[in-house]
Order: sequence, then structure tokens, then C-alpha cells
Amino acid sequence: MAEVKLVDVSKIYEEKNKAVSSFSLEIKDKEFVVLVGPSGCGKSTTLRMIAGLEDISEGEIFIDGRKVNNVPPKDRDIAMVFQNYALYPHMSVYENMAFGLKLRKFSKSEINERVSYAAKILDIEYLLERKPKQLSGGQRQRVAVGRAIVRKPKVFLFDEPLSNLDAKLRVQMRSEIARLHKRLQTTIVYVTHDQVEAMTMGDRIVVMKEGIVQQVDTPLNLYNHPKNKFVAGFIGSPAMNFVEGKIVSEDGLKFVSSQGTLTFQLNPKQSEILSSYRDKKITVGIRPESFSAETKYESSVKTKLEFEEQMGNEVYLHFNVDGKSCIARMHPDVQYKIGDEINVGFNNFAVLFFDNAAGERIC
Amino acid sequence: MKKSLVIFIAVFVGVITFLPFLWMISASVMPSGAANTFPPRIFPNKFDFSHYTTLFTRLNLTKYLLNSMIISFGVTLFSLLLNSMAGYAFAKFRFAKKKGLFKFLLSSLIIPAQVTMLPLFLILKNLGLINTYWAIFIPGMASIFGIFLIRQYAFSIPDSLIEAAKMDGATEMQIYLRVILPLCKPILVTLGLFTFMGTWNDFLWPLIVMTDANMYTMPVALANLMSEHVQDTELMMAGSVITIIPVLVVFLALQKYYIKGIMMGSVKG
Ligand SMILES: Nc1ncnc2c1ncn2[C@@H]1O[C@H](COP(=O)(O)OP(=O)(O)O)[C@@H](O)[C@H]1O
Ligand SMILES: [Mg+2]
Repeated sequence: MAEVKLVDVSKIYEEKNKAVSSFSLEIKDKEFVVLVGPSGCGKSTTLRMIAGLEDISEGEIFIDGRKVNNVPPKDRDIAMVFQNYALYPHMSVYENMAFGLKLRKFSKSEINERVSYAAKILDIEYLLERKPKQLSGGQRQRVAVGRAIVRKPKVFLFDEPLSNLDAKLRVQMRSEIARLHKRLQTTIVYVTHDQVEAMTMGDRIVVMKEGIVQQVDTPLNLYNHPKNKFVAGFIGSPAMNFVEGKIVSEDGLKFVSSQGTLTFQLNPKQSEILSSYRDKKITVGIRPESFSAETKYESSVKTKLEFEEQMGNEVYLHFNVDGKSCIARMHPDVQYKIGDEINVGFNNFAVLFFDNAAGERIC
Repeated sequence: MKKSLVIFIAVFVGVITFLPFLWMISASVMPSGAANTFPPRIFPNKFDFSHYTTLFTRLNLTKYLLNSMIISFGVTLFSLLLNSMAGYAFAKFRFAKKKGLFKFLLSSLIIPAQVTMLPLFLILKNLGLINTYWAIFIPGMASIFGIFLIRQYAFSIPDSLIEAAKMDGATEMQIYLRVILPLCKPILVTLGLFTFMGTWNDFLWPLIVMTDANMYTMPVALANLMSEHVQDTELMMAGSVITIIPVLVVFLALQKYYIKGIMMGSVKG
């Protein structure tokens, strides 16, 4: 139903300090876009500018081709679900959902129909007469979503809607919102600080840091081809391991970590790209899941097992590389004891190289 | 043991406090002169309601009662409306010099009311409002204390609620009327009660601005009676009872909300 376009949008709250800088993004019709990043990186600010709750300091926002910089929230045809649900405490669930329709002068029968429909999809029909304080967190969440969908808006905005729920409910609501998106076929902009939520829900993900967009891509591309060290470290759990070192030539090119704990031969493709980095400082990134206990890989690191976290379906091994803690994620059956000398292999095709100064990925 | 002592003291203080009140009611129904006998009696030995009839017929108390009603309800409504708007604005709106303006308002609290009475009187006189209801409505419209009270309360309303209403399509006026006011109900009742009682019982200001006997409020009219009928204690007591009844009714009717308001204030600060 609607595209949202942001062109060089910035937000300046106080002088000098940019909460959001030059944010540009084209959100396609029916797309589910997730803004993700650590707390304070400007996700909410961006969302609130789209909603019209915050003035746009610089740049332009278009909804369905119409520039909305000076359009008040009520005329943008957008609905928003807030982190704390923001249900009207003095109104029943029914009235909460009907409020926006009443203000927009819908007929009684139309209001009734829409509220009933939304209540049915969200399975909250039996709650309609209750007040918000008589609801559990999960139920409030549903009502908040219901209040948004009755208006059939062009765009849905979600600001960390699941962060007040317990872990189990969060997983359940996650899939429910994803299903709702399929069913309603609307454009969704969803804000979260949780990369798992972002990866599982988004068609495309916008990774932000300190007000600046780091990368916009599909979940899989973010995982496999992160643009820089920040994105690489932010996406994936447990986080990617980073080891500093340099490229030396010794029977071809080789990576040697600063204290020499980790060394491995570069493959031909890496050698070609990294030839100009010879004797320069560089950081490598290895995902915990790239490690393996099997000895099929040529590259490996010899180290001591510090401790392990058994998950049942997998085990996280913590070990030391150059004095920094690294994690390997392995099959739960591996038999190591704490303090053991271990030899963890890894596929050097899965290793990423980052420029030490800028943090950009080289290859 | 300890508990029964507390109860005893509470009952004792209660009785002592209630005694004058009781005597006022019983004296108001004693025959003329019976209240001043010695030893004094607490209960009338004969009921006589003639003082009440006298008040409403010969002394025309209905007029004063009506004046008091109009003034007290008027001031209460005006001040609730304006104080809630101002308190809400100070709590939730972003505007230039907000903090400074509020501090300025607060600092004016230290000026005693008596100091402003003369200038206020002169202004109202020049406006030709002396001996009209407006002479009491206008100065009572906004109170710093009321604004402060509502502002503190409105702080506890989450911003996201207001934003949700904006997204829902509400105008500023609709947000104020349909979200803020209902949520502020406990504090509005509390403030309304204070204002109503304060205005009803106020003596000095109505005395100053209502020089025409037709515009007297109950307390002023009563004081006037007192100087004319010094000996007629029973009549005075009947007048006092009439004066107290409306305040009592309002208080009892709103007591439930009033207590809720005070409690909430204490928790949410
Ligand atoms: N109303 C405001 N006034 C001043 N600074 C603000 C305001 N809201 C947010 N900020 C600042 O802007 C930055 C981005 O905030 P926000 O968008 O809320 O981050 P996020 O939602 O990603 O956690 C933060 O540094 C925050 O302190
Ligand atoms: Mg936020």
C-alpha cells in the first residue's frame, strides 16, 4: 500500500550533537524493514521522524510519494506500537481500539466490525470489556497491535514492541507479528536492539551506530558479507571473534596474530587482495560457528580451554587467543575438559579481514 | 493495650472536635434564648425550627445562598479548566522559557494575598466589575498552587500516551479533553474540593468587592446578621448550619475520589 522514502534525514536535538545523520533509505511497499543497533544509536528518533512525532532537522521524508516533513502525525496515515504499549488506562480494550476510528468519524457499525475483526485475528475477543490494568503484558501487547491495525494504515511502526515481554512470549509474539505482516500486507518499520529479532523478522535490516547507517541488507547478506567490523560483531550470536595481527610473507602470505597464538596461511584469493597489506596491522574476524573440533581444516589454533557453556544442542567453548577471550560454537558431544590443551580447526575461507583503522571489511 | 489507648485518644479528640459542631446544630433548633441559659445544655428540650423559617423569609437568605453557590461553582469550574490546561502545558509541552516562566510563577507564591488585594480591587473597579460575580471569578480563575498540583500529577502521565493519541488522530484539544482530563480526575476532584471550600468559606474578598447587599455571599451575610442580632444566638447557629451544609454535601459526595487523589499524589509525587 505504501512506500516510505527517507532522503538524507538528520536529527539534531542539541547543537552539534546529531542523533541521526544523513539517513537515506527506500522502503518498498509491503516490505518489513528492521532498524537495529545498540541503545542510543538513533533508531527511535528515526522512527519518530517517520511518525511525525519529532521534527525533521534536515532532509526529506516521503510516504507514497508525498513529502510529509510538515504533515502532522494524524494526517500521515501511519500507526505506531510503542514499547510501553501506551494503552489509555481509562478506556476498555474495545474503546482503546475504537478511539482512533471514533476520532476519524467512522460509523458505529464500521467501528464494531473492524474492532471485532482485529480482536479475532489477535485472539483477544474475550478481553474487549477489560481495562488495560487487568491485562497481562502479552495481552496488552496484542491490544496495542490491535489498536494499530483497526485503522488499516499505510505503514506500521513498531518501537521495540517486545522488549517488555519475557523471553518465551517474545519468541511467540515475534512469529505472530511476522505472520500478521504476511496477512495484512502492509509496510512495516520495526525498531529493535535485538539482532536475533532483526534477523528473524526483517526482509531487510538497517544496522545503525551512533546515528549513522552502517549497512542496509538482507539478513543473510549481513551475516555473510558485513561491510565493517561493527556490523560483523553486531550480527550473530555469540558475536564474531576478532584477533589483531599482521600479514607477513612466509611461503606465500600468512596471518600472524600480535602475540603469535593464531597463525594461518592465506588462501589464494585472500593473498591476492591482501598483498598490499603486507606487514601492516590488520584484524581478522572468525565466527564461533566457523570453528570445528574435526581436523579436516588446515588452519587451527592451539590453546587452552578456559570454560564451556553447554546448551544441550550445542556447546560454547571459551579459550584464549593473544590474551583475549574467544568463543567457538561446537557440537555438544565434543569431549574436552577445562584446562585441556585443545586444537580448534577453522575454515580459513570463512575468515573475514578488516582494515585496522577504519574497520572496513577488506575481504 | 496500646491499640485501645490509641482508639481512646482518637475517640476523645473526635468527641471534642465534634462537640461545637453538635452544639451548633442543636442550638439552631432551640427556642429563642434557650441557648444562653446557665448551665448550658447540649440538647434542646424543645425543638423549634422557626429560626430557619425566619432566615429564609424575613432575612432573605435564599439570595445569599444562591450568590454563594454561583460564585463557588463558577470559581471552581473556571479554575479547574484553566489550571488543568496550564498544568498540563507546563508538564508536557515544549515551549521557549518554560522553566523560567514556571519559576517566576512559583516565586509569586511568596507574596501574601493581602498585599495584592488593594491593587486588584482598584483594577476591578476601573473595569466596572465591582459588585458583579466577575469580581470573584476573575481573581480565582488561575491559582499557582493549582497549576503546580496538576503539573506534578501530569508528569506521571507517560509521553507515549499523548503520542499514541496523536497517532490515533486526536487534535491537541481532543488529547486534553479525552485523554488528559480523564486521567487527571483524582487530582481534579481534590483541587476542585479545595477550591470550592475555599471560595465558599472566603470572607474577606467578597466583603471587599461585594458592597451591594444584594451581592453578599453567605459568610458576609452571616457576619452582617451577627452585628444586627447579637443576642440571637439560635438564629446565628441556624445560619451557620445552612452555610456548612453545601460544603459538607460536596465533600461527602467526592470523598472517595478525594482520598484517592491524595494517595496518588503521595505515591507519584
Ligand atoms: N528528546 C531528546 N532530547 C535530546 N536528546 C535526545 C532526545 N531523544 C533522544 N535523544 C538522544 O538521541 C540519541 C538517539 O536516541 P534514540 O533515537 O532514542 O536511540 P535508540 O532508540 O536507538 O536507543 C541518544 O543519544 C539520545 O540521548
Ligand atoms: Mg529507542
